Amino acid sequence: MTLTMARAVRVQSGLSGRVDWTYIAAVAGLIVAGSLAMLSAASTTTFYSSILQKHFIALTFGMTLFALALAFNYQVFQDQSRFVYGLAILIVAATLILGKISRGQRSWVHLFGFSFQPAEMARTLVVLALADFLDRRARRIGDLSTVLLGLLLCAPVMILVLKQPDFSTTLTFVPAIFGMLFCAGADLFQLAAIFGFGGAAVLVPLIYTICQVRYPLAPAHSLPGMILATSRMGWATAAAILLFCTIGFVVWRLASWMRVQIKPAAFAAIPILLSASLLSGIVMQRGLKGYQRNRFVAWIAPQSDVQGASYNVIQSQIAVGSGGMWGKGLFSGTQSQLGFLPERHTDFVFANVGEEMGFWGTSLILGLYMILLWRIVAAARQARDRYGYLVCAGLASTLAFQLVLNVGMCLGLMPVAGVPLPLVSYGGSSLLVTLWTLGIVANIYARRYALL
Amino acid sequence: MSRGGAVPQERLEILWSVIAAAGLVLGLRLTQMQLVQAAEWRQAAERNRSQMIHQNAPRGRIYDRHGVAVAANAPAFSLIFLPGKDRRRQDLKPLARELARQLGRDPDDLLEALEQAVREESAVRLAENLPTQTMFRLSELKTLYPGVDLIVEARRYYPFGRFASHLLGYMGKMGQREWRERKPKGYRVDSRTGRLGLEKIFEDELRGRDGGLRMEVDAQGRLKRVLDKIPWEAGSNIHLTIDAAVQRAADEGLRATPTGRGAAVAIDPRNGDLLAMSSQPDFDPNAFLSTDPNEVKSTVLELSEFNNAISGAYPPGSTFKPIAGLAALSEGRMRPEDTVFCPGHFELGGRTFLCWEHKGHKRVSWLMGLALSCDVYFYTLGLRTGGVAIERYARAFGLGQKTSIPLKGEKSGHLFGPEAREKTGKGWYDGDTLNLAIGQGELTVTPLQMAIATAALANRGSVWRPRYIQKIVYSDGRPDYVPKPERRGLVPARDEAWDEVQRGLETVVSSGTGGSVRIPGLVTAGKTGTAQNPHGEDHAWFVVYAAKPGEPASIAIAVLVENGGHGGTMAGPVARKMILAYFGMKDPGASRPAPVAAAVPVVPPIFVPHGVMR
Repeated sequence: MTLTMARAVRVQSGLSGRVDWTYIAAVAGLIVAGSLAMLSAASTTTFYSSILQKHFIALTFGMTLFALALAFNYQVFQDQSRFVYGLAILIVAATLILGKISRGQRSWVHLFGFSFQPAEMARTLVVLALADFLDRRARRIGDLSTVLLGLLLCAPVMILVLKQPDFSTTLTFVPAIFGMLFCAGADLFQLAAIFGFGGAAVLVPLIYTICQVRYPLAPAHSLPGMILATSRMGWATAAAILLFCTIGFVVWRLASWMRVQIKPAAFAAIPILLSASLLSGIVMQRGLKGYQRNRFVAWIAPQSDVQGASYNVIQSQIAVGSGGMWGKGLFSGTQSQLGFLPERHTDFVFANVGEEMGFWGTSLILGLYMILLWRIVAAARQARDRYGYLVCAGLASTLAFQLVLNVGMCLGLMPVAGVPLPLVSYGGSSLLVTLWTLGIVANIYARRYALL
Repeated sequence: MSRGGAVPQERLEILWSVIAAAGLVLGLRLTQMQLVQAAEWRQAAERNRSQMIHQNAPRGRIYDRHGVAVAANAPAFSLIFLPGKDRRRQDLKPLARELARQLGRDPDDLLEALEQAVREESAVRLAENLPTQTMFRLSELKTLYPGVDLIVEARRYYPFGRFASHLLGYMGKMGQREWRERKPKGYRVDSRTGRLGLEKIFEDELRGRDGGLRMEVDAQGRLKRVLDKIPWEAGSNIHLTIDAAVQRAADEGLRATPTGRGAAVAIDPRNGDLLAMSSQPDFDPNAFLSTDPNEVKSTVLELSEFNNAISGAYPPGSTFKPIAGLAALSEGRMRPEDTVFCPGHFELGGRTFLCWEHKGHKRVSWLMGLALSCDVYFYTLGLRTGGVAIERYARAFGLGQKTSIPLKGEKSGHLFGPEAREKTGKGWYDGDTLNLAIGQGELTVTPLQMAIATAALANRGSVWRPRYIQKIVYSDGRPDYVPKPERRGLVPARDEAWDEVQRGLETVVSSGTGGSVRIPGLVTAGKTGTAQNPHGEDHAWFVVYAAKPGEPASIAIAVLVENGGHGGTMAGPVARKMILAYFGMKDPGASRPAPVAAAVPVVPPIFVPHGVMR
């Protein structure tokens, strides 16, 4: 161990030449833009000075963590993979036990006068652990067992986070896992089946909600009426399953008639998958909490306004759109300074940028993000080992997913999901974890040559 | 170090393409929103942050003939509520409870008003015309409850309170249907409109254009600053022919009578200008704008919109005698010097018609007959003149027809006579002639008709259409509206007849029943009336005109006190006060009440037996 450390210190000087400065500049640019936006957006809140203080303390620690993550060889994480995985389980379990309840969620841990949200850190740890697992299973990557075991590895942490309950953060695990399995070379059919099932299970309640909101007066014999009938677990559900079976059979006959070489099992999978996702969709539809359903509705039909749920969606779009080309100037946005824009320094900070800095501000942030993602993908490409490649792929997927979800939400393209925009949104623990994670990526890039 | 086979780089490239595509979509959406649709979103943001607070424009003022404001405007504080855009954070119940406590109103009503404001996303007036004390207490609420604010605006104010209430009218809230009709004209749901009288008739002229403040508000509805100020435009001013002093004398005089019910009208005989029009019981128009809901409620409950002066039809009684006399004298059926012996009763076809003075007036001529209001004299006069002539003269004086005063609800009264009777197919009998001659029977008149007729007696026959507008001064720069005097008719009578009638009316005042209006320095002429009323106590009448010596009469008055008993004692003092007020004189007080008037007992002047008389 001491040997590794000594070597780390020794190579420090040599590292600077291999560090990706474009990448670091993108990170720095995002932090500067985010801090500016936060300075302006939080100025009307009651705890302005406290927020500033926390932000800059977190920033200092975050930069230190970034430097540390860059300094130690990332392969340490692979060597200590069990420890890494254990830590992930430990911190989310500890959160459930020690956590403070805030807004109905037990997701914060108070330590030494600071409060942390460990779920994001757990996600990075899970990415590291899963990368190690997939690296070990490289020769059997095409097996179904690899995919299932990989999922099984992540499941405990995800379930514990979901227990908090923090649906949004749990959701961000999914692209990381999918991205890694995909980039590891898992069988596409298996991936499609598993994630297709998951996606469809989410899609079914969405379709139900659309039918309910868009066609509230649809008669029972119309298409929306019939779709809604399947949600009642009665004869209509059975009929739908029967319909799926028929589709599977017909497609199989068609395929064999057209002499397409596909395993018959694939055709059996079609009705099984569709039926399973329908059933889980129905279960989800019933298990959906009131506010979650309202978010769906607000996204699908912002004008219908269920208990003001669409308020955020509309106000955020007004903020972004009214910013125009040049924006209204920092501290001068009417939407954010007068309080119309909700969560303006956290989840909706991008809307604040849109209003006060205009198109140039938003495209700057979007551009910096694309550069950042491009550099992470480049790090994956040039990583010296499979482990580094997988970690970068997983983090790129996570970051891209968060970007799309958060910015899409601010622009009315996505439902309100409570996902922050990393590096830009205010949030101490998110900033810390993101910088540490990005430090690992920088590390992987810097050690791309097998010499070190 | 690597443990497995080759890294599937092509998968990474696919991932990167997906990420790049997602970034492109976001970029395109940003371009669409911030560059293409920016103007629309900016409008939405502007709508968000600005709230229009309307300010009622001052209504046009109403002045009397001397320029005294009888309906003006006063600054008043109103409590408004601006609903915030972020409605999830607003719990209206505690606010409604607190306001209900401060204002003494029902919390449920207030809550409903607040919820409506939230639904329609517009400001609402919760209370108007706040007293200073309440205002200070409410200004503390501003800090506790976002959206609550106080604004100053113009409110209708009637400086004299209970003053010409039925003529001026009052302001009130609109009903749902009325609002829907007026909405295109810029009325708001809480606008007040004229509900009666001039306020209603001249609503379009009096109403100004409301101004407003465009305020910057935050998401909770707190007012931040004024963005824009839209000035109001005051309404057009109306100058009336009313003389405030005379009007006040009429209002107060009638109110001081024992029954407190009746009407008084004063007309300028030279041009038909309405100098005063009072109807009692009246109301205080300020009370409708009170902040105390109980006061408003009780005012509305007690409100009598019935204008006795134009809508009340009463038998004129003896005040009709000058008209019957003019008919007789002008037609030559009776000479002034002809005497009649009054034993206190009159025999006709086996029936007995009584004089009000049961002891009888002995021998009376025209002057004393009128001065003492001798019924027997007028029975004789009536029989000699005939119903046809009396009816013709009465019609020439405008009785039985509307005076066409531009006010709602005017009645025409009822003129009866041989001609009118013929239309109904019934016969005319001498007994009817006797009743007509003393102003009883089916004859009914409005106080306004009597005032016009009295003015015609004063000006020798000019029957005016009453005019109450001197001019309307339009606020938009249009030339003033000045109505011209309008003569509706001329009573054709010989000059000698006019002389005798006017001398007779002067004698009534100088040595007859009308002593209560004897005023040194003025020439007053009038006639009392005590009209039989089948429903109760007699109505007291007094008609009078007055002039400075050597000048034409400048005021003609008709006063009616419902169930007041004798005209000279009850209605006379009201008329006296009005005359004094008109000429700006202090009451010398020496000569009233006249001894004759005081001695008059309250007795039905005639006895009408059952059955048909020939």
